[in-house]
Amino acid sequence: MTDGKLPLAILQIEGTNCDEELFRALATLGADPEMVHLKQFEGRDVSRDERRRLGDYRALFLPGGFSAGDYVRAGAVLGARLRGVLGRDLEDFLRSGNLVGGICNGFQALVEIGLLPGRPGGFQVGSPQAALNTNDSDRFECRPTFCRWDGGTFPPLRNSLSPGTVWEIPSAHGEGKLILSGEANATLPELEENGQVLFRWVGPDGQRAGYPWNPNGSVGDVAGITNREGNVFGLMPHPERTFRTRQSFGGRRTEPPDGLGDGGRFLSAIVSYLQRRP
Amino acid sequence: MPRRRPAPHRRKARGTRESRFAPASEKELAAQSEALRLGLTREELQALGDYYAREGREPTRVELAGLAQSWSEHCSYKSSRPLLKEHFGKLPPDSRVLARGDAGVVALDDEWAYALRIESHNHPSAVEPYGGAATGIGGILRDVLAMGAKPVALVDPLFFGPLQGPHRPLPAGIKPPRYLFENVVAGIRDYGNRVGVPTVAGSVLFDPAYTVNPLVNVGCVGVLPRSRLLPNRATAAGQVLVLVGGRTGRDGIGGVAFASRELTAGSAEESRGAVQLGNPILKEPLIHACLESADRHLIAGMKDLGGGGLATASGELVHAGGFGQDLRLDRVPLREKGLQPWEIWISESQERMILAVEPRKVPALLAIFKRWDVPATPIGQVTAGNRERLFHGRRLVGEMDLAFRLDPPVPVLVRSPPPPAPPEDRPLPPEDLAQAIVEMLGDPNGLSREGIIRLYDHEVQGRTVGKPLVGHAATPTHADAAVLEFPPGGPGGLAVAVGSQPFLCALDPRRGGAAVVEEAAANLYAVGAVPEALTDCLNFGNPGDPTVLGSLDAVLAGMAETAELLNVSIPSGNVSLYNGGLGSAIPPTPVVLAVGRVADVDRVLSSDLKGEGDLLYLLGPNPPGLSGSLFQRRRGGPGGGFAPPAGPGLPRMGRALLDLHAAGALRAAHDVSEGGLAQCLCEMAFGGGLGFEVDLSSLTGAESWVPLFSEGGPRWVLEVPPHAQERVESGLSGLSYARLGTVGGRTGRFRHGPSLFAELDLPGLFPRWQSGFYPAPIPFRGT
Repeated sequence: MTDGKLPLAILQIEGTNCDEELFRALATLGADPEMVHLKQFEGRDVSRDERRRLGDYRALFLPGGFSAGDYVRAGAVLGARLRGVLGRDLEDFLRSGNLVGGICNGFQALVEIGLLPGRPGGFQVGSPQAALNTNDSDRFECRPTFCRWDGGTFPPLRNSLSPGTVWEIPSAHGEGKLILSGEANATLPELEENGQVLFRWVGPDGQRAGYPWNPNGSVGDVAGITNREGNVFGLMPHPERTFRTRQSFGGRRTEPPDGLGDGGRFLSAIVSYLQRRP
Repeated sequence: MPRRRPAPHRRKARGTRESRFAPASEKELAAQSEALRLGLTREELQALGDYYAREGREPTRVELAGLAQSWSEHCSYKSSRPLLKEHFGKLPPDSRVLARGDAGVVALDDEWAYALRIESHNHPSAVEPYGGAATGIGGILRDVLAMGAKPVALVDPLFFGPLQGPHRPLPAGIKPPRYLFENVVAGIRDYGNRVGVPTVAGSVLFDPAYTVNPLVNVGCVGVLPRSRLLPNRATAAGQVLVLVGGRTGRDGIGGVAFASRELTAGSAEESRGAVQLGNPILKEPLIHACLESADRHLIAGMKDLGGGGLATASGELVHAGGFGQDLRLDRVPLREKGLQPWEIWISESQERMILAVEPRKVPALLAIFKRWDVPATPIGQVTAGNRERLFHGRRLVGEMDLAFRLDPPVPVLVRSPPPPAPPEDRPLPPEDLAQAIVEMLGDPNGLSREGIIRLYDHEVQGRTVGKPLVGHAATPTHADAAVLEFPPGGPGGLAVAVGSQPFLCALDPRRGGAAVVEEAAANLYAVGAVPEALTDCLNFGNPGDPTVLGSLDAVLAGMAETAELLNVSIPSGNVSLYNGGLGSAIPPTPVVLAVGRVADVDRVLSSDLKGEGDLLYLLGPNPPGLSGSLFQRRRGGPGGGFAPPAGPGLPRMGRALLDLHAAGALRAAHDVSEGGLAQCLCEMAFGGGLGFEVDLSSLTGAESWVPLFSEGGPRWVLEVPPHAQERVESGLSGLSYARLGTVGGRTGRFRHGPSLFAELDLPGLFPRWQSGFYPAPIPFRGT
């Protein structure tokens, strides 16, 4: 962007409820986030100056929440609306190299429309290749969790973060257990091979540890994934909830509390990456 | 709206056939009230008869239905209002309080304010726990929203019968406490999580006194820029009344009448229709749309539709401004066909607000609601004078004097103080102290609440700096209060805590009332917060019983004097009477949600032990006995008395604690409450994964073992790094304190001088304490 701005869209529909904290975090990091209701992209029930075009942003964030209530299956209704309203625009947006990310409910929706883990050779909104199933504990749980970056294709982290780094990024969900369909390109070995595993759940000591550190029973302790190209990402835990160290759970209390928390570092890496790119 | 409203109807409203009771004998009046389930008393029927005699006509069904709502205990506070005025009304004027409306609003600084309110949803939760609890959350959110505030925190103090034995048959029609407990928790979970407001604090108490009538209290804190503060009233004649939010159906009809009488064996069957259906995914955009409209100054006044529905809300909205109203009931968007005008008038369908809007601002307002897909419908107009006229189509279906309709005759009620509890003998020591401590940790009232807390999203909105669970991620323990980062940009924060003391209230209501406020304040001090405001939910029995009102009187006196000592405002509250039935009564159960100010959100004090070799202190006087404690409730036998009010000692101790924290002399603090000192120490140790050794010979005021289990006066355990010993001892001089022992090892060791009388295997006890209380999962449900 010539004016030095970094316009990021944070998508809202009814029941999106982790939007404001994500907005605060991205704005604090020097980006120019804007809350955009899906109807503003659609152009329905809004005035001319409230209309928005996806192509005017550098990234689209789908925040957490219970979009449309998630009474059917988490992310199902949001996925259907995304498909209907943004389908082709989303594909163009991604083909131009822009970034799309989903947190928790947003991750569920991206899986629902087949952008994650994604099929090779294109950015097609299509049928799902995976599901985020009900947690093994059979309940919604809000708890501190830890994620390990083992290296991968995700460009914001690829060259800036050493593999093995553990971040405290808390989770709060009832349906986060990743299950892969097993179709070609959607198996765990392939995701690992392609560097598509974004984070794995680990215990506070950085080792894989089962429940509750893997809070949902996800295959391979996978907490988040990207597409093959690395410009679509989704994760169950909430980086905006450890934006500052002071928000993190007591376990890491020796660090100075005024700095960025682990979730803040993750979001900061994304913003820096977008700022570096022309 | 009604630019095209049909010409005003000149004829008088006509009485309906089923409501024809004037002129009639008193007996007929009573029969009529019974038939329509109006719940009116003889005096009220008399006043009603006189009113219609003056009007020279018969009442309409719509009028009677609306009047019965606004005259109910639930809406009018007719029994409790004189007492509230007597005690809270004489508190000194408080310049921090900006508004006392649907919620109280307190100034935070020149730019920001916060709103707070707590209320009960007891009876609906007794018959339909999942929906009752969920709509309780929905209602309290609207109270805070009505002030122009964004809800940022929920709390939920809950009281149930015992989850398990000794098994006695439950009274007919009463649901098992475990069923109520699990479904109430699930209702809070599914509504609170979906609506996106964190549930940050609460309490759960199990006691046989709550088997028939559980208590489900829900509190909310909101925040607002002061420029957005809205009145709960219309501000000019000619303003348009816009109904926003959910469509209106038959749910919740007569809810307030149901809430204003005791439960019976048939309550579940008869009253299921009185319970409303909640929809958090309509509430969430409703909050957005209301706040966006308020930000753009499109709303003159706003009120939520709760008990009594439109009849209460729109009537109070215009009457509070000194106006009347013309309403078109047929314009109210309906969920189902065929609702009668009187049903539309009093339905308690959820997720609705009524707004007074300047006519020229209506189009801009409607556009905002349309963008959020929230129905918004002009249904009437604010008029000069104090009459209300209700139309359905071209028919005038009701016309009343609002001053009469909204102000019931004050009942003449007798209050007599309950007899003082007889003095009790000294308590008997347990044979095995270690065993007694372990039993308390395993009591449903002593177990970790982690299993419940995890079900609630306590972090959404990203403000929860002080969490309800603290310590190591693997060994979390209870916090005394939650701390929210606010205002944005810091450095300060808001602390949120709850308090209740039903057993002290039963022994001595005045002492108990004071103790409730003391407990909430002690919780706030423990996280390093200065108590500033509280809101109270007064759960009591049948006001027709003179000792119930006598207890309320005494509880209020105790609360008011303690709040004044602490310089704490009480800008809002709620009264829930008629709790009980089938021969059972609840103990007087005032519940408090208190808000305090934290100076620096980067320095929140927490309860988990942090350093091997640190010193442990006990601050606060030890109660002389165990009366009302969990120890006595478990074991029976004499209690030997309870603590006198802390009086001015409480703010002095609190100040000292805050000063020490500011000086960096404290590493942890935990309020001594349910279970006593032993439980408090174990909880601190669990959270830090550390042990301790304490010497009870340092304790004074009672037999040395008694302070281990006594409760009900403000006491804290403080963890102090060795280098701060002098600073702490000088800071506490003149106050009641004792040096208890040290942090270290893995076990919990209790000594008396040289003799070690209990050593607890803390790592072994933790898993049972932590997991013993995970409720069985209840699948997500649509509300």
